[in-house]
Amino acid sequence: TVTDGNMPLPGVNIIVKGTSNGTVTDFDGNYILSNVPTDAVLTFSFLGFTQQELNVDGQSEINVILEEDAAALSEVVVTGYSSQRAVDLTGAVSVIEMEPIREASMSSGSPIQAMQGRVPGLFVEKSGNPTGSSNRILIRGVNTLGNNEPLYVIDGVPTVRQEVFSSINPSTIRSVQVLKDASASSIYGSRASNGVIIVTTTDSMRGEELSISLNSNFSVLSEKQQRYDMLSSQERGRVLWEASVNDGSDPNAGYGEIYDFDWNENFNNPELNNITIQPFVGGNTDVPAGNTDWQDNLYETGYVVNNDLTVSGGSDKAFALINLGYLENSGILKYTGYERYSAKLNSNVKLFNDKVKLGVNSQFYTSKETLASTDLGGGPTPSLGVNLAPTIPVFTASGDYAGPLGSGYSDRNNPLYMQYINRWDNTDRTTIFGNVYAEIDLLENLTFRTSLGIDHSQTGIRDVEPRVSNGFITRNINRLTEVNESFTSLIFSNTLNYQLDLDKHKFEFLLGTESIDNNLETVSASAQDFAVETDSYFVLSSATGQRRSSGTVSGDALFSQFGKINYGFSDKYLASFTLRRDGSSKFGANNRYALFPAFTLGWRINNEAFLRENEKISNLKLRAGYGVVGNQFIGDFARFGLYEARYGPNQHRYAPALFSEWHNIGTAYDLEGNSSGNLPAGFVSVQAGNPDLKWEETKEINVGLDFGFFNNKLAGTFDFFSRETEGILIQPPIASAVGEGRLKWINGATTRTNGWELSLAYSNSSENDFTYSVSTNFGAFKDEITSLPEEARTSYPGTAQNSIIGQSQFSIFGYRTDGLFQSQEEADAHPTGGAQIGNSRPGGIKIVDINGDGVINSDDRDWLGTTLPSLEYGVRIDLGYKNFDFSVFGSGVAGRIGVDPYIFYNNFVPGRENAGPGTLNAWTPTNTNTEIPSLSLVNNFTETSDYIFRDNSYFKIRNLQLGYSLPSELIENWAGMSNLRVYAQGENLLWFTPSGYIGSDPERTNIDLIPNPTVYSIGLNLNF
Amino acid sequence: CSEDFLEVEPTGVVSSENVTTAENAEGLVVAAYAAIGNDNIAGPITNMWVYGSVRSDDAYKGGGGRGDVGAFDRYENYTLTIPDAGEEGTPTTWSLYYKAISRANVALRTINEIPEEEYSEKQQRIAELRFLRGHSHFMLKLLFKNIPFISEDLSDEEILETPNTIPNNELWDIIADDFLFAFNNLPQTPDQAGRANRNAAAAYLAKLRLYQAYEQDDQHQVININEEKLQEVINYANEVTGSLEPDFANNFLPGYENGSESIWAVQFSLDDGTDIGRGSYATGLNSPTGNALYGCCGFHQASQNMVNAFKTDNSGLPLFDTFNDSDMTSVENYGSIDPRFDHTVGFPGRPFKYRNTVDESGDMIYQTSWARDPGVYGVYSNMKEQQAPDCSCWKKEGPFIATSVNYRFIRYADVLLFKAEALIQLDRLDEALPLINEVRERAAASTTRPLQAGALNIYNIDTYESFPSKEIALKALKFERRVEFGMEGWRFFDLVRWGEAEEVLNAYLEEEKDERDYLSTAHFTAGRDEYFPIPQREIDFTGGLYEQNPGY
Repeated sequence: TVTDGNMPLPGVNIIVKGTSNGTVTDFDGNYILSNVPTDAVLTFSFLGFTQQELNVDGQSEINVILEEDAAALSEVVVTGYSSQRAVDLTGAVSVIEMEPIREASMSSGSPIQAMQGRVPGLFVEKSGNPTGSSNRILIRGVNTLGNNEPLYVIDGVPTVRQEVFSSINPSTIRSVQVLKDASASSIYGSRASNGVIIVTTTDSMRGEELSISLNSNFSVLSEKQQRYDMLSSQERGRVLWEASVNDGSDPNAGYGEIYDFDWNENFNNPELNNITIQPFVGGNTDVPAGNTDWQDNLYETGYVVNNDLTVSGGSDKAFALINLGYLENSGILKYTGYERYSAKLNSNVKLFNDKVKLGVNSQFYTSKETLASTDLGGGPTPSLGVNLAPTIPVFTASGDYAGPLGSGYSDRNNPLYMQYINRWDNTDRTTIFGNVYAEIDLLENLTFRTSLGIDHSQTGIRDVEPRVSNGFITRNINRLTEVNESFTSLIFSNTLNYQLDLDKHKFEFLLGTESIDNNLETVSASAQDFAVETDSYFVLSSATGQRRSSGTVSGDALFSQFGKINYGFSDKYLASFTLRRDGSSKFGANNRYALFPAFTLGWRINNEAFLRENEKISNLKLRAGYGVVGNQFIGDFARFGLYEARYGPNQHRYAPALFSEWHNIGTAYDLEGNSSGNLPAGFVSVQAGNPDLKWEETKEINVGLDFGFFNNKLAGTFDFFSRETEGILIQPPIASAVGEGRLKWINGATTRTNGWELSLAYSNSSENDFTYSVSTNFGAFKDEITSLPEEARTSYPGTAQNSIIGQSQFSIFGYRTDGLFQSQEEADAHPTGGAQIGNSRPGGIKIVDINGDGVINSDDRDWLGTTLPSLEYGVRIDLGYKNFDFSVFGSGVAGRIGVDPYIFYNNFVPGRENAGPGTLNAWTPTNTNTEIPSLSLVNNFTETSDYIFRDNSYFKIRNLQLGYSLPSELIENWAGMSNLRVYAQGENLLWFTPSGYIGSDPERTNIDLIPNPTVYSIGLNLNF
Repeated sequence: CSEDFLEVEPTGVVSSENVTTAENAEGLVVAAYAAIGNDNIAGPITNMWVYGSVRSDDAYKGGGGRGDVGAFDRYENYTLTIPDAGEEGTPTTWSLYYKAISRANVALRTINEIPEEEYSEKQQRIAELRFLRGHSHFMLKLLFKNIPFISEDLSDEEILETPNTIPNNELWDIIADDFLFAFNNLPQTPDQAGRANRNAAAAYLAKLRLYQAYEQDDQHQVININEEKLQEVINYANEVTGSLEPDFANNFLPGYENGSESIWAVQFSLDDGTDIGRGSYATGLNSPTGNALYGCCGFHQASQNMVNAFKTDNSGLPLFDTFNDSDMTSVENYGSIDPRFDHTVGFPGRPFKYRNTVDESGDMIYQTSWARDPGVYGVYSNMKEQQAPDCSCWKKEGPFIATSVNYRFIRYADVLLFKAEALIQLDRLDEALPLINEVRERAAASTTRPLQAGALNIYNIDTYESFPSKEIALKALKFERRVEFGMEGWRFFDLVRWGEAEEVLNAYLEEEKDERDYLSTAHFTAGRDEYFPIPQREIDFTGGLYEQNPGY
């Protein structure tokens, strides 16, 4: 019998050393091996355990206890249609340890959010949405000018939908790998240019017949730490007075309806006696002026409840796993929330003497979400929470929601009211994802696998717009819009796998084909005039007014053939060659197919004779690879010249922008002069054709070194990469005279990215049951646009003389500033013109005359930096003592600039909106030691400059966790429990920023979004 | 098998071969009409309130401070020295006109290929399309002067090689050719009210020849007035049949659309099955703010100068040279005004849009608090483009407001005054006098609605007995255009045509800056500010083919 000291181990390979005679343990860990010479040596090997050799010494029964090999746990790595031993890997592949991120995944409901900062070369930008969706996920920075989202391959089924991965409960995830370089990912060919994240869920048992595990997490969410300080009503009055007087305009004329300014009316020597807040907003006695902290009213403490239960069991012939999960996030922004039910079923059975394996891996989830909404004019509530004037009260005296009234206010609504009226808005998402497969051992070492996968999602969006009366902003028509989106992707893949061992030569062959068929259908309907405004009455049929409907159908198909050869010699020299041929419906017959080759070489130096005896070096491997991958992220019908019957859409449907909702672009026209009713309509060109459109290609070189010292106590990986993307698919703008709908897709630009990644970990244990480990990761890259068609340059910052060529696509182009003018003389002596006009005043911002021509104009702009960090890093420390475990994880970024939105409010006075307390410290002749310019309502230098875009490097303590596992002696008595761990954790706890940074959370770069909250949670993991 | 699998045909769209057929020809014509109304709030192509009114002495930008739609502030203050970047303002307007031109050209290319026997409307539709193409080119020319002319025979590649360097006079003639074709081939009364007709073509020719008559040099200065063109103005004006509405107000109210005074108008509609209704969104920001009836956003506010211009003397005639000597800040104190004042300007204490209440919900007497940012832009508003909120022609979409009331590009009053202007320039003062008086008589008869809404009757308007000199006749003509078309969006173009933009506008700014601090540094630069710069991106997209206008 073979055990792990506790439970029997099935599937252990036992071989008589030096022969091909061997067997495998059965489900109870038992094995029988005949024809064994009495002096033979038996080799016991099992994945994740240290290999053991035992002398038979004539024994007839040999019981073995295998020891877990911690370093080898992640040893087999799924690399796409096949798996490989980690030690044989030659591409840049990061294996993500699930264990440390399990709890952070539970509190956010999203494993991908929990990975932030933990994997070198994986950049994750979070959003504060209760859905746990991330804003941006980049592998090795950016690669193309369009979509940079990676491909997810979950149990062999590809998808670009991040949410599918997010919905998998972490307890069922066996492994996650990130294929970073083109040599590793080229097996996914045309879909791999942004990198590939491979997720494998549990599909077999190890050592147990039945396992039940329960994970439970309860979290409390708060955004208090991420808030911006804003002025009180009284303070705002003072700031408005000072700014008006500085501008030479009468404050009572501008803001007299909000404040009564009692001052000496002497612009040369202004003195303020007193400010009284006018008692009523807009003079309406029902609306007493308030002193509202909008953030305080808009946000509340949020709660997340996340539970998941897994039951798995099986034998060596069959396996089944059922996982159920429930997540609820009450949302920190009032009237928002997210709820998700998820289920997973993985099952397989072996037939015909284990020669055939049939199985299914599936994931189901359904969710509901209500997120931040916008006000009637499209202003998002999170930003209104920051900047709405404090004198507007939340409620009127008669208990209604108050809004702006009278002159002096912005045309923005009460954000709490906007959240309230949108409380019936809801998005339902239901997904069925997974595959059925069969694996057939045709011959020894020759396996055929066929898999039919599906990625199907159904999205229903419900948008209820009740009538609104909010101060002077009203909506007198109510409306309901329902949108249904159905997406189906069918993936059929077939592979043949053959392994050949010829003495010291090991070969592995893979051949396969894959076809992918994607379809997307949307239907949208809306109706207006509902007699009753209740949630249940808002159904389309109840409306009595105008109705509209629209719908689209779109799709694309991919067909691919691929092959791979892995070769190993004597466990020292490794090579691999991959070739994939992809055809896409998005391209015309001439350019439909493309070949994506890759090859890699590896040298396991530690297996060389000269190092074998070295006790310090336990692992050393040099890798090098080159690969080509493609990209086809363009519209399904990008190559065609197309006309559409656009009856009456607004521009917003195609390109949301300021005022686009009110921009008709349709073909319907009231030729009869009836002023209403159905209109005659026609057709309009929407796209010019390009039959020569072809794939975008990325070529990448990767060189890496894996190392381990002192029995792998110190281990790490270093990778350097350089890649170039050519023929980037862009749709450059064209001269307007060419006319409407004449844009076309072309293969235009080229980008180059260089970078490196390093991960380094040290772990050790000492006497007294104390274990500790430190792991770090670093990732750095620099991207630049190396060529861009002339006509596309104006879509990017820069000028003809100083273009974006040679810069990152995320570079910021703007003015440099040099402090404040301390006197009018100093201002007069400084060059002026352009943006400097109006700022040439005492306390005004000094703009640097970069080209030294004595005039400030738009030629004085230069490249200020990029908004993507050049370096990301993370540090994790784990400590264990007896049954306690403690970990702290922090990560940060360096070498980037970012717009700090708070500067617009804290350092300047926006006339209609509230300002931050920085304005109280503005420059005045008696307060000169400040960076806040003298206040002005009209001359605020808010153009792109280094005053706005500042270094926003940071280091954040992201996760702190303390756990306690109850002693196994104790819990064994509790219905055979095998593990019970309780833990407490905190997330997004504190951060360190450079001195010039004035905002709150440095990751909060957009006030239109809900901030990322600080999270405190408690939870338990329980296993039977 | 795999080849078929990868043939995924587009859905819900048609290829260019399938769309350019006789069956679809009518639809392509409708689409070309639709394009002339496909406005953008920040890049209008119908109502020229930004480009013609705010840029003149008629009005201020308004809105929530100078930064609110900053491009418009640059136009108002003539601080646009480098072409607009981004989408706001002229870049959008430029591109929307060319979109409209391309729709007309797509339809023309299609229809040209269809034999007449298969398509009996062929000639009429070609004439309509050329009229529409002429309209967009004409508007572009008013704004940018040096523009590429795009005809239907040009391919995409050829368009990219079409320069904007046609000499000024020649370009007028090329645009005029489209209107001439329309004039010769359009019916006097079309089958549908919204279609271009012979009347509209004649009026447009009169308008175009009038602009062309004032010949400009490369620095936009008027160097000669061409008498032949003036005669053409008279000839075409005589071809226009129409009459003035009995009440001035009818031009700005529903129920009179496509009536006798409406010569060429864009058709607006609401509740028409489109996403937001094809209403007048170009003026969507221009409703009064601060009152619950309207709500947003207080743009396009009458200037003090505009208000003063409505003052009349004891004999009911305008104060040509002295109107701006004192400010009319309350009508009660002044007591003698042109009735068109109450059709043009929202003024404290006066009924707004001929009303005193809207149901029980609100008081329609204009209040100081209806102004959004009085500290910057004062308290007066526009009125012609507004409707009462209880009108079925009125709609609030989000915060912005549209009406279904058509915007008249050319009213019959315009035709009368085009003709009068040509006559005066040709020294035929006696023939011009009755035309101007016809307009004034109608104004005098337009007091019923404001009075019924409770306006204090301080109206005093009369006709001219005679024009003692050409100089006085011209003053009368110019003043008449100002008060007749006040805030309708044409004032700036009139001033440029007459060659007096610099003189009038700098004098205006000199006075107006005392009222409005924000105008204190504004200055009109002759030789530059008459026209907008060609949008920089268009120059870039054509590899520098377009020549930039002088001064930019």
